[in-house]
Amino acid sequence: MFLKEDPGSRRQAYRAAKEENRKELKHVRIDPTAVEGDGKIDLPKKKFYRQRAHSNPFSDHQLDYPISPSEMDWSKLYPHFYSDVEKGMLKKVTITDIGCGFGGLMIDLSPAFPDSLILGMEIRVQVTNYVEDRIIALRRNHSKTNGYQNINVIRANAMKFLPNFFEKGQLEKMFYCFPDPHFKQRKHKARIITNTLLSEYAYVLKEGGIIYTITDVLDLHKWMVNHLEMHPLFERLDEAWEAEDKCVKIMRVATEEGKKVERKEGDKYVACFRRIANPEII
Amino acid sequence: MIHPVQFLISSRDGNLLFCVIKNMIQVFKVDVKINNCSLIGEWIDEYDNKQLIKEKVEQEQMRQLAGNATKKMKTNDGSIIEQPCKEPKVPVPGPGAPPLYQYIRCLTLSDDESILVACTDSDKAAVLFKVELENANCLSLLKRQPFPKRPSAITFSADKELILADKFGDVYVTSLECPVTNMTPEPVLGHVSMLTDIAVTKDNLGKQYVLTADRDEHIKISHYPQTFIVNKWLFGHKQFVSTLCVPKWKPNFLFSGGGDDSIYSWDWQEGKLLFKFDVGELVAPYLTDFHFPPERFLLHDGTTRKELSVVKILSFEQLPYLAVIFEATKVIFILECNKSTGELTLHQKLELNSNLVSLAVAEMTNQLVVSLDDRKNGQEELIKFFKYEDGKFTEDESKNSAVSPILKSSLERNTISQVDADSIYPLYHIAQLRKRGDHYS
Repeated sequence: MFLKEDPGSRRQAYRAAKEENRKELKHVRIDPTAVEGDGKIDLPKKKFYRQRAHSNPFSDHQLDYPISPSEMDWSKLYPHFYSDVEKGMLKKVTITDIGCGFGGLMIDLSPAFPDSLILGMEIRVQVTNYVEDRIIALRRNHSKTNGYQNINVIRANAMKFLPNFFEKGQLEKMFYCFPDPHFKQRKHKARIITNTLLSEYAYVLKEGGIIYTITDVLDLHKWMVNHLEMHPLFERLDEAWEAEDKCVKIMRVATEEGKKVERKEGDKYVACFRRIANPEII
Repeated sequence: MIHPVQFLISSRDGNLLFCVIKNMIQVFKVDVKINNCSLIGEWIDEYDNKQLIKEKVEQEQMRQLAGNATKKMKTNDGSIIEQPCKEPKVPVPGPGAPPLYQYIRCLTLSDDESILVACTDSDKAAVLFKVELENANCLSLLKRQPFPKRPSAITFSADKELILADKFGDVYVTSLECPVTNMTPEPVLGHVSMLTDIAVTKDNLGKQYVLTADRDEHIKISHYPQTFIVNKWLFGHKQFVSTLCVPKWKPNFLFSGGGDDSIYSWDWQEGKLLFKFDVGELVAPYLTDFHFPPERFLLHDGTTRKELSVVKILSFEQLPYLAVIFEATKVIFILECNKSTGELTLHQKLELNSNLVSLAVAEMTNQLVVSLDDRKNGQEELIKFFKYEDGKFTEDESKNSAVSPILKSSLERNTISQVDADSIYPLYHIAQLRKRGDHYS
């Protein structure tokens, strides 16, 4: 459903201008010598991208997704990693941020994993647009160093269509940061960690791959830990491991939700799990 | 008028016919040698779901009261006062409320044909029966296991465990012996989409797999009983999948259909699409105004965009043929499958005078049985049999003339199958699985 909006509003005008910008810039490789002046563009302003905080993962949204992973054109998302010579991608996506929100985690992960492709998946249209605009601006502003070429975002329902994007064992890290808690009992199936979805995450994760979770809701933390512990293909990593891992450090401070919790001096609960080998098939 | 048979299955030899009419199962024994057909079993779902609804409402009432008690309210000056304990609202079904359905949705027979399972709408249960032909009523109730969401497809594993898929996308396993429970069971696998069909099969090494199909184009293959290990997805459908068919003569083949214009032929073990048989043009002459999308999705650009929906694909034990029916059409397609390449070709078209509702095969004796929506044709034909002779399927006239009158008179006398024209089970419900993507944000 569309909310009625005043077509003359500043928000509408801003969104329309950004839409144009996205069309123009999204899929082009930025040539640092061609950037005029200092070439900097302003980072997008979050206030123009407000949208309801929730989206029903069970509805039939108008979504673009490939029929199968082999049909996905990654060169548009990561043009810098496309080889004209080999007519193909030099890398595959190995890190995902499911429900990436405003993209803070990816932006901090980008320089930490310069050789890995990182994909954010977000179901809310305006939030996805914000992240796209943010990445466009960052790429442009860091064109001399080719910064932020390894991150991008797509609007997707990861609960339904994750296997359309990734092959078996393709991913090394999957982040679930401050997911929607869905407090009501009967909404629990809408939670991003359930025993049935974990089997699908285990399929796209390679052996030894890691699931990272963080939340400020203790009940949800317990639920996620409980479901991951019960799942035969995951084992929990201990606190010593968490203390050493650079992603845990980034995850604690990088996301918008994380910063909000910080401001409110709330608790943050972290749990990380390793994808173990499949048992012998019986 | 007589209610059409909304769902039917046949025993492998074709001698037993299980028919569903509204909330009733009737079992007929067909004996062609003496041109006879007799009613040998019956079960009526008389479950009163008013009690169930009442319990649910009371539970909800308690929950709301408990919720209200914990809420605090603030006055304008900021001091906290107790929330006045409001009486929760309990919805009362008024004249416009949706009717409560008691329909039976689907039937499945175990491989040895000793157990029959039915899914009921009333309490979302799987109802299990022993099939004992020596008893006066061949159906004896074993148990009735309710599930959290409405079951949409059922099958059996090799070790006779019941595997059930529901409309919420979850799959449950229960054994025949385990007692009925009110506990919410844990699903063994799931999709975030409505499940439409389920099948269990074995690979070359004898390992079992569960195949599940959903409303979002997906066919997922999981190991069984290690259902937490996904083996693969079969990608290729662009619309919902409504039916899966694994032929006995080649268990690593799979045929699937739904909202696409093609029947898909797979080697599921290899994860390969072998062939797509385009039925769009072949079926087009049989499509009617029924097959237009709803008014608000019409393009109004002069194109006719009728949409077909595959209802069922069935195979035989030995014959390399598939029988396929499409929703609200008057034709059965017989496709021939190349047993080594999986290639499909049209072998035969069987046209009827009325729309088909349900299709069944007697796999062992190569017979087809269909139930018909003959409301417009004076109710002459409720069920029709076809036999296989000299490479072709033809109407089994001796069987039809023997069975039809008996079946009709039996149903005419029955108070459940005698209905008004407006209290008919929704016979055509598959087309509505098609996604229109009408949620934007």
